[in-house]
Amino acid sequence: MKPSLWSRISDEAAQAWAILVKDMRVYYLQPPMIMYGLVLPFFIFFSFSVKRNLGIQCSMANLLALTTFFTASSAGPVIVPLERRERTYDRLMTAPMSLWTVLLGKTLVGALFAIAASIIPLIVGIVLLGAQINALPLVIVTVLLTTAAFSAFGLFFASFPAQSVGTIMMPSTLMRWPLLFISGVFIPLTDMDPWLRVISYISPLTYGQDLLHHALDSKAVLPLGLDLGAMALGVVLFLVIAYLLHQRSRKLGY
Amino acid sequence: MAIPAIEAKELTRDYGAMRAVDHISFAVQAGEVFGFLGPNGAGKTTTLRMLTTLLEPTSGTALLNGFDITRQGYGARRQFGVVPEESNVYRELTGRQNLLFSGQLYRVPKAERERRAVELVTKFGIDNKLDALADTYSRGMRRKLTICMALMHRPSILFLDEPTAGLDVRGQRSIIEFIRLLNAEGMTIFLTTHQIEEANQLCNRVAIINGGKIAAIDTPERLKQTIQDVQSVEVALDPCPTGAQDALGRLPTVTTAVTHGDKIRLYTPDPSQVLPAVMEYAVERGARIVSLNTLGPSLEDVFLKITGQSIAKETEEPLEGRQGRGRGSCAVSGGDSH
Repeated sequence: MKPSLWSRISDEAAQAWAILVKDMRVYYLQPPMIMYGLVLPFFIFFSFSVKRNLGIQCSMANLLALTTFFTASSAGPVIVPLERRERTYDRLMTAPMSLWTVLLGKTLVGALFAIAASIIPLIVGIVLLGAQINALPLVIVTVLLTTAAFSAFGLFFASFPAQSVGTIMMPSTLMRWPLLFISGVFIPLTDMDPWLRVISYISPLTYGQDLLHHALDSKAVLPLGLDLGAMALGVVLFLVIAYLLHQRSRKLGY
Repeated sequence: MAIPAIEAKELTRDYGAMRAVDHISFAVQAGEVFGFLGPNGAGKTTTLRMLTTLLEPTSGTALLNGFDITRQGYGARRQFGVVPEESNVYRELTGRQNLLFSGQLYRVPKAERERRAVELVTKFGIDNKLDALADTYSRGMRRKLTICMALMHRPSILFLDEPTAGLDVRGQRSIIEFIRLLNAEGMTIFLTTHQIEEANQLCNRVAIINGGKIAAIDTPERLKQTIQDVQSVEVALDPCPTGAQDALGRLPTVTTAVTHGDKIRLYTPDPSQVLPAVMEYAVERGARIVSLNTLGPSLEDVFLKITGQSIAKETEEPLEGRQGRGRGSCAVSGGDSH
Protein backbone atom coordinates (compact mmCIF):
# COMPACT_ATOMS: atom_id res chain seq x y z
CA MET A 1 0.00 0.00 0.00
CA LYS A 2 1.32 3.43 -0.94
CA PRO A 3 1.77 5.66 2.14
CA SER A 4 -0.09 8.98 2.29
CA LEU A 5 1.87 12.16 1.64
CA TRP A 6 1.68 13.20 5.29
CA SER A 7 2.79 9.79 6.50
CA ARG A 8 5.67 9.86 4.02
CA ILE A 9 6.78 13.35 5.14
CA SER A 10 6.54 12.31 8.77
CA ASP A 11 8.58 9.16 8.07
CA GLU A 12 11.25 11.07 6.17
CA ALA A 13 11.54 13.70 8.93
CA ALA A 14 11.99 10.96 11.53
CA GLN A 15 14.60 9.25 9.35
CA ALA A 16 16.52 12.53 8.88
CA TRP A 17 16.46 12.98 12.68
CA ALA A 18 17.75 9.42 13.18
CA ILE A 19 20.66 10.16 10.83
CA LEU A 20 21.36 13.40 12.68
CA VAL A 21 21.50 11.69 16.07
CA LYS A 22 23.60 8.83 14.73
CA ASP A 23 26.12 11.17 13.08
CA MET A 24 26.32 13.31 16.20
CA ARG A 25 27.17 10.25 18.31
CA VAL A 26 29.49 8.58 15.84
CA TYR A 27 31.42 11.53 14.41
CA TYR A 28 30.77 14.88 16.07
CA LEU A 29 30.86 14.10 19.78
CA GLN A 30 34.36 12.71 19.47
CA PRO A 31 37.39 14.43 21.04
CA PRO A 32 39.20 15.26 17.75
CA MET A 33 36.09 16.86 16.28
CA ILE A 34 35.38 18.85 19.43
CA MET A 35 38.98 20.10 19.53
CA TYR A 36 39.02 20.92 15.84
CA GLY A 37 35.61 22.55 15.78
CA LEU A 38 35.96 24.64 18.91
CA VAL A 39 39.61 25.41 19.39
CA LEU A 40 40.83 25.99 15.82
CA PRO A 41 38.58 29.00 15.08
CA PHE A 42 39.84 30.70 18.27
CA PHE A 43 43.46 30.18 17.25
CA ILE A 44 42.90 31.47 13.74
CA PHE A 45 40.99 34.43 15.05
CA PHE A 46 43.61 35.47 17.59
CA SER A 47 46.42 34.94 15.06
CA PHE A 48 44.94 37.58 12.80
CA SER A 49 43.26 39.91 15.30
CA VAL A 50 45.89 40.63 17.93
CA LYS A 51 46.78 44.36 18.08
CA ARG A 52 44.30 45.31 15.39
CA ASN A 53 41.85 47.15 17.66
CA LEU A 54 38.79 45.83 15.83
CA GLY A 55 36.45 46.50 18.72
CA ILE A 56 34.49 43.95 20.73
CA GLN A 57 31.40 43.85 18.51
CA CYS A 58 33.39 43.51 15.29
CA SER A 59 35.69 40.88 16.80
CA MET A 60 32.74 38.83 17.96
CA ALA A 61 31.17 38.95 14.52
CA ASN A 62 34.43 37.78 12.96
CA LEU A 63 34.94 35.04 15.53
CA LEU A 64 31.38 33.82 15.05
CA ALA A 65 31.86 33.79 11.28
CA LEU A 66 35.02 31.69 11.67
CA THR A 67 33.44 29.32 14.17
CA THR A 68 30.29 28.67 12.17
CA PHE A 69 32.28 28.30 8.96
CA PHE A 70 34.83 25.83 10.32
CA THR A 71 32.60 23.74 12.53
CA ALA A 72 29.78 23.45 10.02
CA SER A 73 31.82 22.74 6.91
CA SER A 74 34.66 20.56 8.25
CA ALA A 75 33.08 17.24 9.13
CA GLY A 76 30.96 16.66 6.02
CA PRO A 77 33.90 16.13 3.66
CA VAL A 78 35.30 13.52 6.08
CA ILE A 79 32.15 11.65 7.03
CA VAL A 80 30.65 10.77 3.66
CA PRO A 81 33.82 9.31 2.03
CA LEU A 82 34.54 7.49 5.30
CA GLU A 83 31.04 5.99 5.30
CA ARG A 84 31.44 5.04 1.67
CA ARG A 85 34.68 3.23 2.45
CA GLU A 86 33.22 1.46 5.50
CA ARG A 87 30.08 0.63 3.49
CA THR A 88 27.91 2.14 6.20
CA TYR A 89 26.72 4.60 3.56
CA ASP A 90 25.09 1.65 1.76
CA ARG A 91 22.93 1.22 4.83
CA LEU A 92 21.45 4.67 4.24
CA MET A 93 21.17 4.18 0.49
CA THR A 94 19.24 0.91 0.79
CA ALA A 95 16.80 2.22 3.39
CA PRO A 96 13.34 3.28 2.19
CA MET A 97 13.88 7.02 2.18
CA SER A 98 14.65 9.79 -0.25
CA LEU A 99 18.21 10.86 -0.96
CA TRP A 100 17.03 14.32 0.07
CA THR A 101 16.35 12.96 3.54
CA VAL A 102 19.91 11.65 3.86
CA LEU A 103 21.33 14.98 2.70
CA LEU A 104 19.02 16.91 5.00
CA GLY A 105 20.03 14.80 8.01
CA LYS A 106 23.70 15.29 7.24
CA THR A 107 23.28 19.05 6.73
CA LEU A 108 21.33 19.49 9.93
CA VAL A 109 23.84 17.63 12.09
CA GLY A 110 26.66 19.91 10.87
CA ALA A 111 24.50 22.96 11.45
CA LEU A 112 23.45 21.83 14.94
CA PHE A 113 27.05 21.18 15.95
CA ALA A 114 28.07 24.61 14.64
CA ILE A 115 25.19 26.27 16.50
CA ALA A 116 26.37 24.63 19.72
CA ALA A 117 29.93 25.71 18.95
CA SER A 118 28.90 29.30 18.22
CA ILE A 119 27.38 29.66 21.68
CA ILE A 120 30.88 29.59 23.19
CA PRO A 121 32.21 32.75 21.42
CA LEU A 122 28.89 34.42 22.15
CA ILE A 123 29.21 33.68 25.88
CA VAL A 124 32.89 34.67 25.90
CA GLY A 125 32.03 37.91 24.10
CA ILE A 126 29.08 38.83 26.29
CA VAL A 127 30.29 37.68 29.72
CA LEU A 128 34.02 38.35 29.55
CA LEU A 129 34.33 41.15 27.04
CA GLY A 130 31.07 43.00 27.59
CA ALA A 131 29.73 42.66 24.07
CA GLN A 132 26.09 43.59 23.53
CA ILE A 133 23.42 41.95 21.45
CA ASN A 134 20.92 44.52 20.32
CA ALA A 135 19.02 42.46 17.75
CA LEU A 136 18.70 38.96 19.22
CA PRO A 137 16.18 37.65 16.63
CA LEU A 138 18.53 38.67 13.83
CA VAL A 139 21.47 36.99 15.58
CA ILE A 140 19.42 33.78 15.88
CA VAL A 141 18.29 33.87 12.24
CA THR A 142 21.83 34.67 11.13
CA VAL A 143 23.40 31.80 13.09
CA LEU A 144 20.75 29.34 11.84
CA LEU A 145 21.15 30.41 8.23
CA THR A 146 24.95 30.60 8.15
CA THR A 147 25.43 27.25 9.88
CA ALA A 148 22.97 25.59 7.48
CA ALA A 149 24.66 27.15 4.45
CA PHE A 150 28.18 26.26 5.58
CA SER A 151 27.13 22.72 6.49
CA ALA A 152 25.59 22.28 3.02
CA PHE A 153 28.81 23.73 1.60
CA GLY A 154 30.78 20.96 3.35
CA LEU A 155 28.33 18.35 2.10
CA PHE A 156 28.78 19.64 -1.43
CA PHE A 157 32.48 18.64 -1.25
CA ALA A 158 31.59 15.34 0.39
CA SER A 159 29.33 14.40 -2.48
CA PHE A 160 32.01 14.03 -5.12
CA PRO A 161 32.30 10.36 -6.12
CA ALA A 162 35.17 9.11 -3.94
CA GLN A 163 35.79 6.59 -1.18
CA SER A 164 39.01 8.09 0.08
CA VAL A 165 38.87 10.84 2.68
CA GLY A 166 42.09 12.30 1.27
CA THR A 167 40.60 12.66 -2.20
CA ILE A 168 37.90 14.92 -0.79
CA MET A 169 39.82 16.64 2.01
CA MET A 170 42.59 18.02 -0.20
CA PRO A 171 40.40 20.07 -2.56
CA SER A 172 38.03 20.92 0.27
CA THR A 173 40.86 22.37 2.38
CA LEU A 174 42.45 24.12 -0.59
CA MET A 175 39.12 25.74 -1.35
CA ARG A 176 38.04 26.68 2.17
CA TRP A 177 41.22 28.28 3.53
CA PRO A 178 41.63 30.92 0.78
CA LEU A 179 38.00 31.89 1.37
CA LEU A 180 39.04 33.21 4.79
CA PHE A 181 41.20 35.83 3.10
CA ILE A 182 38.80 36.98 0.41
CA SER A 183 35.59 37.04 2.41
CA GLY A 184 36.07 40.09 4.60
CA VAL A 185 36.87 38.23 7.82
CA PHE A 186 40.41 39.54 8.11
CA ILE A 187 40.48 42.21 5.39
CA PRO A 188 37.26 44.26 5.41
CA LEU A 189 35.42 44.27 2.09
CA THR A 190 35.77 48.07 1.95
CA ASP A 191 39.58 47.78 2.06
CA MET A 192 39.82 45.25 -0.78
CA ASP A 193 40.98 46.01 -4.29
CA PRO A 194 37.98 46.15 -6.65
CA TRP A 195 39.01 42.95 -8.47
CA LEU A 196 39.41 41.06 -5.19
CA ARG A 197 36.06 42.34 -4.02
CA VAL A 198 34.44 40.97 -7.18
CA ILE A 199 35.94 37.56 -6.41
CA SER A 200 34.78 37.79 -2.80
CA TYR A 201 31.16 37.86 -3.95
CA ILE A 202 31.54 34.25 -5.08
CA SER A 203 32.28 33.13 -1.53
CA PRO A 204 29.40 32.15 0.78
CA LEU A 205 31.54 33.26 3.72
CA THR A 206 31.40 36.86 2.43
CA TYR A 207 27.64 37.00 2.92
CA GLY A 208 27.80 35.01 6.16
CA GLN A 209 30.28 37.30 7.85
CA ASP A 210 28.52 40.41 6.51
CA LEU A 211 25.24 39.10 7.90
CA LEU A 212 26.89 38.65 11.30
CA HIS A 213 28.03 42.26 11.14
CA HIS A 214 24.42 43.26 10.48
CA ALA A 215 23.44 41.34 13.58
CA LEU A 216 26.23 42.46 15.90
CA ASP A 217 27.65 45.80 14.81
CA SER A 218 27.11 48.42 12.14
CA LYS A 219 30.01 47.47 9.90
CA ALA A 220 28.06 45.47 7.31
CA VAL A 221 28.80 46.45 3.73
CA LEU A 222 26.10 44.65 1.75
CA PRO A 223 22.33 45.09 2.06
CA LEU A 224 20.71 42.83 4.68
CA GLY A 225 18.30 41.40 2.12
CA LEU A 226 21.16 40.43 -0.17
CA ASP A 227 23.02 38.65 2.66
CA LEU A 228 19.91 36.77 3.77
CA GLY A 229 19.01 35.88 0.18
CA ALA A 230 22.53 34.74 -0.66
CA MET A 231 22.71 32.49 2.41
CA ALA A 232 19.30 30.97 1.73
CA LEU A 233 20.21 30.48 -1.92
CA GLY A 234 23.51 28.91 -0.76
CA VAL A 235 21.67 26.28 1.29
CA VAL A 236 19.46 25.34 -1.67
CA LEU A 237 22.23 25.50 -4.27
CA PHE A 238 24.74 23.39 -2.33
CA LEU A 239 22.07 20.79 -1.51
CA VAL A 240 20.95 20.57 -5.14
CA ILE A 241 24.53 20.15 -6.35
CA ALA A 242 25.17 17.57 -3.60
CA TYR A 243 22.03 15.70 -4.72
CA LEU A 244 23.15 15.66 -8.35
CA LEU A 245 26.64 14.51 -7.38
CA HIS A 246 25.17 11.69 -5.29
CA GLN A 247 23.02 10.61 -8.20
CA ARG A 248 26.16 10.57 -10.31
CA SER A 249 27.94 8.49 -7.65
CA ARG A 250 25.12 5.97 -7.73
CA LYS A 251 25.47 5.69 -11.47
CA LEU A 252 29.21 5.16 -11.12
CA GLY A 253 28.76 2.64 -8.31
CA TYR A 254 30.40 4.47 -5.35
CA MET B 1 0.33 -17.95 -9.76
CA ALA B 2 2.14 -15.98 -7.03
CA ILE B 3 4.53 -13.32 -8.21
CA PRO B 4 8.21 -14.20 -7.75
CA ALA B 5 9.97 -12.63 -4.79
CA ILE B 6 12.81 -11.59 -7.11
CA GLU B 7 12.58 -11.34 -10.86
CA ALA B 8 15.56 -10.05 -12.86
CA LYS B 9 14.81 -9.04 -16.42
CA GLU B 10 17.71 -8.61 -18.82
CA LEU B 11 19.73 -6.95 -16.07
CA THR B 12 22.87 -5.38 -17.51
CA ARG B 13 25.65 -3.26 -16.08
CA ASP B 14 28.60 -1.67 -17.88
CA TYR B 15 31.64 -0.04 -16.28
CA GLY B 16 32.93 2.08 -19.14
CA ALA B 17 33.73 -0.31 -21.95
CA MET B 18 33.62 -3.37 -19.69
CA ARG B 19 30.35 -5.27 -19.36
CA ALA B 20 30.22 -6.64 -15.80
CA VAL B 21 26.71 -8.13 -16.01
CA ASP B 22 25.29 -9.09 -19.36
CA HIS B 23 21.49 -9.36 -19.83
CA ILE B 24 20.82 -11.77 -16.99
CA SER B 25 17.28 -12.96 -16.25
CA PHE B 26 16.08 -15.24 -13.48
CA ALA B 27 13.26 -15.58 -10.99
CA VAL B 28 13.38 -16.54 -7.32
CA GLN B 29 10.16 -17.81 -5.77
CA ALA B 30 9.02 -16.74 -2.32
CA GLY B 31 10.52 -18.95 0.37
CA GLU B 32 13.40 -20.14 -1.77
CA VAL B 33 17.10 -20.10 -0.85
CA PHE B 34 18.76 -19.04 -4.06
CA GLY B 35 22.54 -19.19 -4.45
CA PHE B 36 24.46 -17.01 -6.85
CA LEU B 37 27.78 -18.70 -7.53
CA GLY B 38 30.67 -17.49 -9.54
CA PRO B 39 34.41 -16.93 -9.51
CA ASN B 40 35.83 -13.59 -8.42
CA GLY B 41 34.89 -10.83 -10.86
CA ALA B 42 32.06 -12.85 -12.42
CA GLY B 43 29.44 -10.20 -11.61
CA LYS B 44 27.93 -11.56 -8.39
CA THR B 45 28.34 -8.46 -6.25
CA THR B 46 27.44 -6.12 -9.13
CA THR B 47 24.17 -8.03 -9.56
CA LEU B 48 23.47 -7.88 -5.84
CA ARG B 49 24.21 -4.14 -5.75
CA MET B 50 21.77 -3.59 -8.61
CA LEU B 51 19.08 -5.69 -6.95
CA THR B 52 19.47 -3.72 -3.72
CA THR B 53 19.23 -0.37 -5.61
CA LEU B 54 22.80 0.65 -4.77
CA LEU B 55 23.80 0.63 -8.40
CA GLU B 56 21.77 1.68 -11.41
CA PRO B 57 21.50 -0.94 -14.13
CA THR B 58 22.76 0.17 -17.54
CA SER B 59 19.69 -1.55 -18.95
CA GLY B 60 17.07 -4.04 -17.83
CA THR B 61 15.44 -4.10 -14.44
CA ALA B 62 14.30 -6.32 -11.59
CA LEU B 63 11.15 -6.66 -9.54
CA LEU B 64 11.16 -7.31 -5.80
CA ASN B 65 7.75 -8.60 -4.74
CA GLY B 66 6.45 -6.77 -7.81
CA PHE B 67 8.23 -3.45 -7.11
CA ASP B 68 10.46 -2.25 -9.94
CA ILE B 69 13.93 -1.36 -8.60
CA THR B 70 14.45 1.35 -11.24
CA ARG B 71 11.06 3.05 -11.00
CA GLN B 72 9.73 2.14 -7.54
CA GLY B 73 12.88 2.33 -5.45
CA TYR B 74 11.03 3.36 -2.28
CA GLY B 75 8.63 0.41 -2.43
CA ALA B 76 11.37 -2.00 -3.49
CA ARG B 77 13.62 -0.99 -0.60
CA ARG B 78 10.92 -1.82 1.92
CA GLN B 79 10.94 -5.45 0.75
CA PHE B 80 14.44 -6.50 1.64
CA GLY B 81 17.25 -6.48 4.15
CA VAL B 82 20.82 -6.63 2.94
CA VAL B 83 23.98 -8.02 4.50
CA PRO B 84 27.05 -6.88 2.57
CA GLU B 85 30.30 -8.81 2.47
CA GLU B 86 31.93 -6.38 4.91
CA SER B 87 30.10 -6.08 8.22
CA ASN B 88 28.95 -2.47 8.03
CA VAL B 89 28.11 -1.74 11.63
CA TYR B 90 28.93 1.53 13.36
CA ARG B 91 31.80 0.57 15.61
CA GLU B 92 31.43 3.70 17.72
CA LEU B 93 27.91 2.64 18.71
CA THR B 94 26.80 -0.21 20.95
CA GLY B 95 25.05 -3.23 19.51
CA ARG B 96 21.75 -1.92 20.85
CA GLN B 97 22.29 1.54 19.31
CA ASN B 98 23.13 -0.03 15.96
CA LEU B 99 19.97 -2.11 16.01
CA LEU B 100 17.75 0.74 17.11
CA PHE B 101 19.18 3.01 14.41
CA SER B 102 18.43 0.36 11.82
CA GLY B 103 14.89 0.09 13.17
CA GLN B 104 14.49 3.87 12.98
CA LEU B 105 15.55 3.92 9.34
CA TYR B 106 12.77 1.45 8.56
CA ARG B 107 10.26 3.23 10.79
CA VAL B 108 9.77 0.30 13.14
CA PRO B 109 7.65 1.58 16.07
CA LYS B 110 9.70 2.40 19.16
CA ALA B 111 8.37 -0.32 21.49
CA GLU B 112 8.69 -2.90 18.71
CA ARG B 113 12.30 -1.76 18.01
CA GLU B 114 13.41 -2.49 21.56
CA ARG B 115 11.63 -5.85 21.62
CA ARG B 116 12.91 -6.89 18.20
CA ALA B 117 16.51 -5.92 19.03
CA VAL B 118 16.53 -8.10 22.13
CA GLU B 119 14.76 -10.95 20.33
CA LEU B 120 17.30 -10.98 17.50
CA VAL B 121 20.45 -10.81 19.59
CA THR B 122 19.10 -13.52 21.86
CA LYS B 123 18.36 -15.74 18.86
CA PHE B 124 21.88 -15.10 17.57
CA GLY B 125 23.59 -15.57 20.92
CA ILE B 126 25.12 -12.10 21.16
CA ASP B 127 22.74 -10.76 23.81
CA ASN B 128 25.54 -10.61 26.40
CA LYS B 129 27.26 -7.90 24.32
CA LEU B 130 24.15 -5.87 23.46
CA ASP B 131 25.34 -2.79 25.33
CA ALA B 132 29.01 -3.09 24.44
CA LEU B 133 30.54 -0.99 21.66
CA ALA B 134 30.52 -2.84 18.35
CA ASP B 135 34.23 -2.06 18.16
CA THR B 136 34.80 -4.61 20.92
CA TYR B 137 32.99 -7.38 18.99
CA SER B 138 34.82 -10.22 17.29
CA ARG B 139 34.53 -10.50 13.51
CA GLY B 140 31.89 -13.22 13.82
CA MET B 141 29.86 -11.17 16.28
CA ARG B 142 29.97 -8.13 14.00
CA ARG B 143 28.71 -10.37 11.20
CA LYS B 144 25.84 -11.52 13.36
CA LEU B 145 25.05 -7.95 14.36
CA THR B 146 25.00 -6.95 10.67
CA ILE B 147 22.49 -9.71 9.95
CA CYS B 148 20.39 -8.70 12.95
CA MET B 149 20.35 -5.10 11.68
CA ALA B 150 19.11 -6.31 8.29
CA LEU B 151 16.28 -8.19 10.01
CA MET B 152 15.00 -5.43 12.28
CA HIS B 153 12.09 -4.54 9.97
CA ARG B 154 11.13 -8.18 9.25
CA PRO B 155 11.87 -8.10 5.51
CA SER B 156 10.47 -10.83 3.29
CA ILE B 157 13.67 -11.00 1.24
CA LEU B 158 17.20 -11.17 2.63
CA PHE B 159 20.23 -10.51 0.42
CA LEU B 160 23.50 -11.89 1.72
CA ASP B 161 26.84 -11.20 0.05
CA GLU B 162 29.39 -13.89 0.95
CA PRO B 163 27.77 -14.40 4.39
CA THR B 164 30.46 -16.63 5.87
CA ALA B 165 33.55 -15.03 4.32
CA GLY B 166 36.37 -14.57 6.80
CA LEU B 167 34.69 -16.52 9.60
CA ASP B 168 36.09 -19.54 11.42
CA VAL B 169 34.34 -22.90 11.11
CA ARG B 170 32.21 -22.32 14.20
CA GLY B 171 31.16 -18.89 12.96
CA GLN B 172 30.34 -20.29 9.52
CA ARG B 173 28.17 -23.05 10.98
CA SER B 174 26.35 -20.65 13.19
CA ILE B 175 25.53 -18.33 10.25
CA ILE B 176 24.43 -21.24 8.06
CA GLU B 177 22.13 -22.54 10.80
CA PHE B 178 20.63 -19.11 11.18
CA ILE B 179 20.01 -18.77 7.45
CA ARG B 180 18.22 -22.14 7.56
CA LEU B 181 16.12 -20.95 10.46
CA LEU B 182 15.14 -17.73 8.67
CA ASN B 183 14.21 -19.68 5.57
CA ALA B 184 12.13 -22.09 7.66
CA GLU B 185 10.22 -19.04 8.87
CA GLY B 186 9.37 -18.27 5.24
CA MET B 187 12.01 -15.71 4.30
CA THR B 188 13.34 -15.67 0.75
CA ILE B 189 17.13 -15.80 0.79
CA PHE B 190 19.38 -14.64 -2.03
CA LEU B 191 23.03 -15.30 -1.34
CA THR B 192 26.15 -14.78 -3.37
CA THR B 193 29.04 -17.03 -2.52
CA HIS B 194 32.11 -18.66 -3.92
CA GLN B 195 31.91 -21.33 -1.21
CA ILE B 196 30.49 -24.16 -3.24
CA GLU B 197 29.73 -26.43 -0.31
CA GLU B 198 27.83 -23.66 1.43
CA ALA B 199 25.57 -23.31 -1.61
CA ASN B 200 25.25 -27.09 -1.89
CA GLN B 201 24.06 -27.35 1.71
CA LEU B 202 21.80 -24.33 1.78
CA CYS B 203 20.29 -23.61 -1.61
CA ASN B 204 17.12 -24.89 -3.23
CA ARG B 205 18.51 -23.63 -6.52
CA VAL B 206 21.75 -22.08 -7.67
CA ALA B 207 22.72 -19.93 -10.61
CA ILE B 208 26.30 -20.05 -11.81
CA ILE B 209 27.43 -16.75 -13.24
CA ASN B 210 30.56 -16.49 -15.32
CA GLY B 211 31.82 -13.52 -17.29
CA GLY B 212 28.68 -11.57 -16.42
CA LYS B 213 26.33 -14.20 -17.88
CA ILE B 214 24.31 -16.92 -16.24
CA ALA B 215 25.88 -20.16 -17.36
CA ALA B 216 23.55 -22.55 -15.52
CA ILE B 217 20.60 -22.37 -13.19
CA ASP B 218 18.99 -25.34 -11.46
CA THR B 219 18.88 -27.36 -8.24
CA PRO B 220 22.31 -28.54 -7.04
CA GLU B 221 21.39 -32.19 -7.60
CA ARG B 222 20.16 -31.66 -11.17
CA LEU B 223 23.27 -29.70 -11.98
CA LYS B 224 25.40 -32.58 -10.71
CA GLN B 225 23.49 -35.01 -12.93
CA THR B 226 24.50 -33.04 -16.00
CA ILE B 227 28.13 -34.05 -15.57
CA GLN B 228 27.99 -37.72 -14.59
CA ASP B 229 31.18 -38.27 -16.60
CA VAL B 230 33.10 -36.42 -13.89
CA GLN B 231 33.27 -39.20 -11.31
CA SER B 232 36.35 -40.21 -9.39
CA VAL B 233 38.05 -42.80 -7.23
CA GLU B 234 40.01 -41.56 -4.24
CA VAL B 235 42.65 -43.75 -2.65
CA ALA B 236 45.05 -43.39 0.28
CA LEU B 237 48.01 -45.83 0.38
CA ASP B 238 50.43 -46.63 3.21
CA PRO B 239 53.23 -46.30 2.33
CA CYS B 240 52.53 -44.30 -0.76
CA PRO B 241 54.88 -45.64 -3.48
CA THR B 242 57.08 -43.17 -5.33
CA GLY B 243 55.47 -42.17 -8.62
CA ALA B 244 52.06 -43.49 -7.57
CA GLN B 245 50.19 -40.52 -9.00
CA ASP B 246 51.72 -41.04 -12.47
CA ALA B 247 51.27 -44.80 -12.38
CA LEU B 248 47.64 -44.62 -11.28
CA GLY B 249 47.01 -41.85 -13.80
CA ARG B 250 47.89 -44.32 -16.58
CA LEU B 251 45.22 -46.87 -15.52
CA PRO B 252 42.49 -47.55 -18.11
CA THR B 253 39.70 -44.89 -18.31
CA VAL B 254 41.50 -42.57 -15.86
CA THR B 255 41.53 -39.06 -17.38
CA THR B 256 43.30 -37.12 -14.62
CA ALA B 257 45.12 -37.99 -11.42
CA VAL B 258 45.46 -35.36 -8.72
CA THR B 259 47.06 -35.52 -5.27
CA HIS B 260 44.95 -34.13 -2.43
CA GLY B 261 46.97 -34.25 0.77
CA ASP B 262 47.62 -37.94 1.53
CA LYS B 263 45.10 -39.10 -1.08
CA ILE B 264 45.22 -39.51 -4.83
CA ARG B 265 42.07 -38.78 -6.79
CA LEU B 266 41.54 -40.46 -10.13
CA TYR B 267 38.94 -38.90 -12.43
CA THR B 268 37.11 -41.40 -14.61
CA PRO B 269 33.77 -41.89 -16.36
CA ASP B 270 33.74 -45.53 -15.10
CA PRO B 271 34.89 -46.11 -11.48
CA SER B 272 34.04 -49.85 -11.67
CA GLN B 273 36.98 -50.41 -14.01
CA VAL B 274 39.39 -48.39 -11.92
CA LEU B 275 38.67 -49.93 -8.49
CA PRO B 276 40.13 -53.44 -9.19
CA ALA B 277 43.10 -51.93 -10.98
CA VAL B 278 43.89 -49.73 -7.97
CA MET B 279 43.69 -52.72 -5.61
CA GLU B 280 45.95 -54.72 -7.89
CA TYR B 281 48.46 -51.85 -7.96
CA ALA B 282 48.46 -51.70 -4.14
CA VAL B 283 49.06 -55.44 -3.80
CA GLU B 284 51.89 -55.39 -6.36
CA ARG B 285 53.64 -52.54 -4.51
CA GLY B 286 53.03 -53.99 -1.03
CA ALA B 287 51.05 -50.92 0.04
CA ARG B 288 48.14 -51.03 2.47
CA ILE B 289 44.94 -49.35 1.28
CA VAL B 290 44.04 -46.93 4.08
CA SER B 291 40.88 -45.77 2.34
CA LEU B 292 39.22 -46.21 -1.03
CA ASN B 293 36.15 -44.22 -2.06
CA THR B 294 34.16 -43.58 -5.19
CA LEU B 295 32.99 -40.01 -5.51
CA GLY B 296 30.13 -38.69 -7.58
CA PRO B 297 30.32 -35.32 -9.30
CA SER B 298 30.13 -32.46 -6.83
CA LEU B 299 28.65 -29.03 -7.28
CA GLU B 300 32.24 -27.85 -7.36
CA ASP B 301 32.89 -30.06 -10.39
CA VAL B 302 29.87 -28.52 -12.08
CA PHE B 303 31.17 -25.09 -11.18
CA LEU B 304 34.65 -25.85 -12.50
CA LYS B 305 33.32 -27.33 -15.70
CA ILE B 306 30.97 -24.43 -16.37
CA THR B 307 33.43 -21.71 -15.49
CA GLY B 308 36.05 -23.38 -17.63
CA GLN B 309 38.56 -23.92 -14.86
CA SER B 310 40.58 -27.10 -15.09
CA ILE B 311 40.81 -29.62 -12.27
CA ALA B 312 44.59 -29.32 -12.33
CA LYS B 313 44.40 -25.56 -11.87
CA GLU B 314 41.82 -25.97 -9.17
CA THR B 315 44.20 -28.14 -7.15
CA GLU B 316 46.80 -25.39 -7.19
CA GLU B 317 44.24 -22.94 -5.83
CA PRO B 318 41.80 -25.22 -4.03
CA LEU B 319 38.23 -24.02 -3.82
CA GLU B 320 36.59 -24.46 -0.49
CA GLY B 321 34.03 -27.15 0.02
CA ARG B 322 35.69 -30.29 -1.33
CA GLN B 323 34.61 -32.15 1.77
CA GLY B 324 31.00 -32.12 0.76
CA ARG B 325 31.50 -34.28 -2.33
CA GLY B 326 28.99 -37.11 -2.54
CA ARG B 327 30.63 -40.26 -1.21
CA GLY B 328 30.05 -43.72 -2.60
CA SER B 329 29.46 -46.82 -0.52
CA CYS B 330 32.58 -48.83 -1.20
CA ALA B 331 35.00 -47.45 1.35
CA VAL B 332 36.90 -50.62 2.19
CA SER B 333 38.75 -49.70 5.30
CA GLY B 334 39.69 -46.98 7.69
CA GLY B 335 42.86 -46.15 9.55
CA ASP B 336 45.33 -43.43 10.28
CA SER B 337 46.52 -41.41 7.38
CA HIS B 338 50.20 -41.02 6.98
